[in-house]
Amino acid sequence: MSGGAAGAPKPLPSSGPKSLREMPHPLATSSSEEMGPALTPSPDLLLPRSIADKDLSLPNGTPVDTSSPASSSSLLNRLQLDDDLDGETRDLFVTVDDPKKHVCTMETYITYRVTTKTTRAEFDLPEYSVRRRYQDFDWLRNKLEESQPTHLIPPLPEKFVVKGVVDRFSEEFVETRRKALDKFLKRITDHPVLSFNEHFNVFLTAKDLNAYKKQGMALLSKMGESVKYVTGGYKLRSRPLEFAAIGEYLDTFSLKLGTIDRIAQRIIKEQLEYLVELREYGPVYSTWGGLEVELSEPLEGVSACIGNCCTALEELSEDMTEDFLPVLREYILYSESMKNVLKKRDQVQAEYEAKLEAVALKKEDRPKVPTDVEKCQDRVECFNADLKADMERWQNNKRQDFRQLLMGMADKNIQYYEKCLTAWESIIPLLQDKPETK
Amino acid sequence: MENAEAEPSDSRPEEDDAAPRSGFSPPEQPVAAAATMEDCLAKKMEITVSEAEKRTGRNAMNMQETYTAYLIETRAVESQGEGQCAPVDSLWRRYSEFELLRNYLSVTYPHIVVPPLPEKRADFVWHKLSADNMDPDFVERRRIGLENFLLRVASHPVLCQDKIFYSFLTQEGGWKEMVNETGFQLKADSRLKALNATFRVKNPDKRFTELKHYSDELQSVISHLLRVRARVADRLYGVYKVHGNYGRVFSEWSAIEKEMGDGLQSAGHHMDVYAASIDDILEEEEHYADQLKEYLFYAEALRAVCRKHELMQYDLEMAAQDLTSKKQQCEELATGTVRTFSLKGMTSKLFGQETPEQREAKIKVLEEQIQEGEEQLKSKNLEGRDFVKSAWADIERFKEQKNHDLKEALISYAVMQISMCKKGIQVWTNAKECFSKM
Repeated sequence: MSGGAAGAPKPLPSSGPKSLREMPHPLATSSSEEMGPALTPSPDLLLPRSIADKDLSLPNGTPVDTSSPASSSSLLNRLQLDDDLDGETRDLFVTVDDPKKHVCTMETYITYRVTTKTTRAEFDLPEYSVRRRYQDFDWLRNKLEESQPTHLIPPLPEKFVVKGVVDRFSEEFVETRRKALDKFLKRITDHPVLSFNEHFNVFLTAKDLNAYKKQGMALLSKMGESVKYVTGGYKLRSRPLEFAAIGEYLDTFSLKLGTIDRIAQRIIKEQLEYLVELREYGPVYSTWGGLEVELSEPLEGVSACIGNCCTALEELSEDMTEDFLPVLREYILYSESMKNVLKKRDQVQAEYEAKLEAVALKKEDRPKVPTDVEKCQDRVECFNADLKADMERWQNNKRQDFRQLLMGMADKNIQYYEKCLTAWESIIPLLQDKPETK
Repeated sequence: MENAEAEPSDSRPEEDDAAPRSGFSPPEQPVAAAATMEDCLAKKMEITVSEAEKRTGRNAMNMQETYTAYLIETRAVESQGEGQCAPVDSLWRRYSEFELLRNYLSVTYPHIVVPPLPEKRADFVWHKLSADNMDPDFVERRRIGLENFLLRVASHPVLCQDKIFYSFLTQEGGWKEMVNETGFQLKADSRLKALNATFRVKNPDKRFTELKHYSDELQSVISHLLRVRARVADRLYGVYKVHGNYGRVFSEWSAIEKEMGDGLQSAGHHMDVYAASIDDILEEEEHYADQLKEYLFYAEALRAVCRKHELMQYDLEMAAQDLTSKKQQCEELATGTVRTFSLKGMTSKLFGQETPEQREAKIKVLEEQIQEGEEQLKSKNLEGRDFVKSAWADIERFKEQKNHDLKEALISYAVMQISMCKKGIQVWTNAKECFSKM
């Protein structure tokens, strides 16, 4: 069932996301579904539904039997297959760039340009360019957490900055933030469920986001955010092993990251103190050179050399501050929000178990399991499936992110030493030079 | 009668091209021609300070003290080397004996820039270095410094011929008595006298004045350099050592990771290597600092020669002044005119003139004194010119040595830096490879 003819409802891919070439141009069809964000996810939609959706069915239409755990895992398998095709068959690209300062009477703030390129049917146009500020990203994240509680939502860079300590409008700060916001959107883009979220769609496309925000739930799916989790009253007896393991892992992981963050900060501090001394050291050679005749050039050379090393060191420290530390902090925030998701999952399971117990206590003779208990069971299993899938994706991304991050750190240090090496090697001939006349 | 004058001391010393004489303070041995480089003691004799040993003994106040003794080994160099080595002679000396030797040389050869001793107390230390004189690292560096001192003296064309020096190297017992018997302490100029001369001298050789300024500035700039270098070393130590913390945390982190574990663990090992590498790097750098220190102390030796010149010049000016006034007195007595105010003149006015016989007697005494004075002035002038000539010859020799040595020191410093950079590149490249395997 590949690309449909004009006039038919837009065929959504049934075996993995279509490559760009095979996708029909959204404007080629005149489907009524063009008018806005889809109200109901099409039954053909491959990807696992949000827990809010009752209808779970496999791509070919067969309903999934959620009462058996086996079905969740087959869903999982399907997911993994699709992930592998991710790299080549992307159909959504989002970028954050071009920060601009806006000065208004009430406040001053920065907006970023969010550019979207896509062939997805959910989008009316193939390209969008909107301007968003941090508030908007924050709003998006909250909406995603509300509407996709079973999934791991990527973190945002820290909201508040201590005024006076950090300059909110400095180039470095804005650039660091921009990179983090870009990463945030890219992570959502790469997520098979989150990227189809309606709020995300609006965020990327709406000219006036504020109007949309005010409308609240008006346009949203009736199955949208109304799902509330009963908190309190339900206590989970024990976390299933695999989730307990995840919880423990996240605890240790964020602990270790915290330590690495502290070490990195300490190194930067020591480097800057070293830099201060170096800045005094170099010029003394120059002063000495002024005293001497034959040694004047060699001493000047050494002075200049040390100056070059200072510059290289400054660049290294800046790079570490701007590129290394923020990513660490991002992952620490990520871990925190993931732990919260785990807790929510516990809640859902607790509710289910409590209700199940309540039914068992009634001692009715083999009734069919009441629907609300069934619903609870569905929820638990979907939550578990979503979470496991997300964890795996997260682990993979984490590995790649850290691989890149640490290689980057090593690279920067190598570059620093190479710059210093060049400087010192270049003055050796100067030092060895014998003056022509005696 | 002409006014006796101190000959301006910046006259060209063309006449005397005899060997630099220490005619102003006759040494114990017959004046010999300066040795050429080939004749230097250093060429004929291998000298090493090979060991240092802690000793306890009783000092002058009969209190127990701990001190370090140094083993001086000497061996004649066979010019027809057939592989047969002469036997090694050895004796133990302590630092105070080295000091005694140097004092003797400074007083006996005031026109020579006498090589300095290594520092008495550990100075310019940074936190890892001990300020304790008994610290093994300090003792080791001092041992090297003492050996360097002996080699410098042994390669000096004038100093190497000194008998006291030779005995220092070869005669264990009775050396101190021998030195004291030379009576050199009596010849030493008092500090006060020298200071007085420095302030009051009217016409010193401009070259010496310049040299004095130079040595003051040199001392100041090298002190500054050594101080800052010590701080730089301290900071650099901190930077490297903090990286060691990465080793531990990577190891702990790798325990909870599956695929990333190995890469992290081995990278952590490289971080440990990196942290440990700074110890050797900084130890090597201490040798560079010692080379600078030698010239810091050499500045003092230069100043001592300048001071001696000022003292001699002042002495000369005083003698000339004295002669002039005596001649004037004589003239006044002879002609009966009082040209200048003098107490005698006043008293004679008050108490009546002297008898012609008394006057004659006085004139005779004065004429004798004037005769003596003129001879003394002549010899002082000669001494002064000799001093300037021989001192300047040694200063030129010293300048060349200084330029050569400091250039070598700078080159070796640059080489150390290059080595440090290469090690850094190596370690981080290794770490990067480990990260890439994550």
